[in-house]
This record gives sequence, C-alpha cells and structure tokens, in this order.
Amino acid sequence: MCPADGGDSGGDRAPGKQPGDDAAFAALLEDSAEDLYEHAPCGYLSTLLDGTIAKINTTLLDWLGHARGDVVGRRTFSDLLTAGGRLYHETHFAPLLRMQGEVSGIALELKAADGSRLPVLVTSTVKTGGDGQPLLIRTTVFDARDRRAYETELLRARREAEREREELKRLNATLQQTLLPPALVSVPGLNVAAHYHIASADKVGGDFYDLFPLTDGTWGLFLGDVCGKGATAAAITSLARYTLRAAAVYDPDPAAVLSNLNTVLNHEYNGTDPRFCTVVFGLLTPDADRDGFRITLASGGHPPALLIRADGSADFLPTPGGQLIGVLPDAHIATTTVRLDPGDTLLLHTDGLTEAHTAQLGDGDRYGDEALLDFVRALGPTTAAHTVAAVRDLLDTFGTGVDDDTAVLAISVPRPPSEEQQ
Amino acid sequence: MTELTVRTRTTPAGPVIELAGELDHASAPDVRALLPGLALGAGQQLVIDLSGITVCDSSGITVLLAARNHALAARAGIALAAVPARVSRIIHIVGLDRVFPTYATARAAEAAWAPPSAHP
Repeated sequence: MCPADGGDSGGDRAPGKQPGDDAAFAALLEDSAEDLYEHAPCGYLSTLLDGTIAKINTTLLDWLGHARGDVVGRRTFSDLLTAGGRLYHETHFAPLLRMQGEVSGIALELKAADGSRLPVLVTSTVKTGGDGQPLLIRTTVFDARDRRAYETELLRARREAEREREELKRLNATLQQTLLPPALVSVPGLNVAAHYHIASADKVGGDFYDLFPLTDGTWGLFLGDVCGKGATAAAITSLARYTLRAAAVYDPDPAAVLSNLNTVLNHEYNGTDPRFCTVVFGLLTPDADRDGFRITLASGGHPPALLIRADGSADFLPTPGGQLIGVLPDAHIATTTVRLDPGDTLLLHTDGLTEAHTAQLGDGDRYGDEALLDFVRALGPTTAAHTVAAVRDLLDTFGTGVDDDTAVLAISVPRPPSEEQQ
Repeated sequence: MTELTVRTRTTPAGPVIELAGELDHASAPDVRALLPGLALGAGQQLVIDLSGITVCDSSGITVLLAARNHALAARAGIALAAVPARVSRIIHIVGLDRVFPTYATARAAEAAWAPPSAHP
C-alpha cells in the first residue's frame, strides 16, 4: 500500500506534499464547526421530543426550498415527510427511536416546498442529559436520489426479466401445442385418448403423437420422441410430424413410412451433432365386420407398446431390432401385427414415464419397464380413456420426478353394449 | 450432482475414451468437442469405455453416434467397452446393439482389434 513516491527520501514530509499545501491546510483549519454544520454534504436537524424542529442546517433547507423562519419552531420533522413517509414515521420510526435511542438508514421521502419528492436515508439519535432523560433528537439526512434511481432501475430490470420469462413460457406452451394435434379425430368403432405431460415450462420437449385418416377406411397413428429439448428439438419434431403424415399418404406400409422419415432426417441432421428420434407408427385397418381392428406397428428404436387384453392380461408388444430414426442410412425397422378385439387396449408411451425418478420403486431410482407392466396389469381390463387417466394420475404422483416430457396415446375397441352393462 | 469425467489414452489399436459419471444434455457437448482432437488413423479403432457411467440419456446416445460418425469419417472402427446394464438396455431399445461392437473391457476391445495389415 506504499505510495510510489514514498521511497527512502520520505522523512516526516507527507508523500507528494508541496509548499503550497501549507496554505490549503491553514484554510481548512479555519473551517469552523458552524460552517461545517451549515454546509455539510448532508442534512442535519435537531428536534424537540415532540418533533418540533429546533435547528436545521442550510444544506437541508436548500434541498427542501424552505426558509429557516418557516420551519424552525413552526414545523415538526413529520411535516417535512410525504404522506406515506409520515405514516411510516409515526408507526415505525418514532416508536423504534423511543425504544432504542437510535434508528439508522431508514429510507423516507421528503416533500420539498415546490411539491417535489426527495428520497433520503435518515438516521436519528436521541440526545440525553446527565440524568439519562432524553433531551432532543438529532437527525442526519442523506440524499438517496442516486440510490433510489438505482433501485428503481433494478426493480424495472427484474420486472422486465420476469415478463420476458412469462412470455417465453407462453411461447413455449404455444409451440408445444402446435406440435400436437388440437384434438384427436374420432375413429368409428375405436376409443382414443392421449395425454402430454410437460416436464419443464422453459424448454419445448420433443415428444409427439397423432392419429389421422388414410384412404380406404384405414387410419394412421404415431407416437415418438425426439432426442434433446429446445428449439432444435422442436424443429425436428415438426419435421418428423409432417414427414410421417406425408409419407403415410405416399405409402401407408408402416415400415416404409419410418424408412422415409429416416431418409429425410438423415439428410437433414448428421455429422458432429447427430439428432435422432424414436417412433412407433401404426396402421389401423377395421375388420370387415367392424368389431375390431388389425394393427400393424412399426418401431424405430422406440420402447415397446403395451397390449391390455379384454381378459385383463397385459404384456409388452415387442418389436425387437428396430433402430432409431435419423442417423443410420439404412435403419432397420421392426414390425409386428396384432388384432385389437372388443375390450382390448393398446398403450403407446415415451420413456419420460419409465425414466421418471421415484423414491419407492426398483430399477435404480427410475420407475422402469417392469413397474409400468405391473401398473397396466392392475388396470386390465380397461379402456383407452381409463388407461390414459390412470397414467396421468401416476405422473402426478411422481411430481418433479418426471424430468423429461412424456406422451401417452391409447386406443381401445369398445365392448358390445350388452357386455358393458355387466 | 455428479458430473462427467473424461479421460483419453492412446493404445496401439487407437484412442480410448473413458467416461465416468453422467452422460447427458449438459455434458454431451464436452465429449463431442474432444472428438476432432483424437489421433485416430484409418484402420484403427476408437474405444469408448463406459464402465463409470451412471446416467446416459438420449443426449448421451447422440455422443456415441457422433463418435461413430467421427470414426467412420476417419475410416476407423468403433467399439464400446464395459457397458453398464442400464446403458446396455437403452442401446438395445434404440437398436444400436447392431451398430456398436461391445466388449466386456477396453482391454478385450483392444485384443479383438486386428492391425490393418492383417486385412487383405
């Protein structure tokens, strides 16, 4: 901390001191205590115990624009405050001062003669006599305009940030909505239900599903999961959705639909930041006698669907060997075909469900495939609506344990009315 | 929260990347970034040792795919070593078990590697 010129020539001379400084010091010594009081860089005032102003310095009078004669003996400190400041003074400041003998750094607003407001920081002490009896109150007043402006700016910036965050959440929610069908179409002879669980309001997830009519009375459905989150994932999700629908019109064979999607994504995203998705695509063909559907499912690396039979039994519907879509030029697509008879339910899900953190259940601390299988076995026999409602409740019990978005889509064939009544 | 630890070493068969901890959205870019700096020659083999991995999500899968793309571009091979059961299950579901040769240990992966001269 030595000054640079302090060196060994120092002696008793102050570093850098010049002969002319002596006159300056002399002038300072002549600065009277009275002048320091009157023109101090802060406001001073002394009041009687009832608040009547007994003494006030010029600095404070200048800030307020009052003449000394208008204030001394005529007004109380409280009179100098704004209405809000006065209330605070009466209810907090003055009682605290009486109890503690000192109050420091309280932010108040003074009202100047021209009606303008002056934000200040006020410190008061009670001066007592030799017998300990309070005599008067001494108060210093610091100009807090800069500080108040700074605080206002901070508040404004914070409100702005909060508003932008809300706006981002709203945009994310809107974007998410555009990635999902507004309502699932109604398919004659089939019950359909779906749910999308958003894990984070800050980032758009990459799960998607849809169900739509194809020619000749057949229907297409898909459910998938794009890796990652945010804008890039949303762009891939959008591309995947539209490509799947277009590809299904071009050639509704489920394996061909996924192969076409694979080609499109592989051309678009590869190299050092590969992006992929996993998808199940299904082609639903109503039986000729209209009491069931034949379903061909193709899987591109997606967790297997669950089939819950009318007799209450349930199991995974494996599609082994299917590969994720978008990174391998010739991804292998695995297919399987099942019949969905009255009372049967098919459930598709994304792994946000099975990867959810849970305190109680197995597979490390994740919910896991086995727990999901047990869960749907307990549901069967069931319906699409009931299954999706149950999964929704299940997700709710996980709370923040679900750290990835989750989509579920279920279809079921209603039982004949005679059976439903049993 | 355990983060990802990355170590690389070089063997006659090619570089080995040892990963431990969480391979996820947060750590994936770090691993992708080190790929271009690897000394990986044509005919060599890049081994990714996953023995210490506790978490591998879809972003982790993209890291394995990026490494594979890198190896293919260098006309080299790629193999996974010591894949934990959880990661193995994910790799199976997404069908990548057909794409990545997998060995019990990095040493086994090196032993299985044949020098390019052995191939006609």
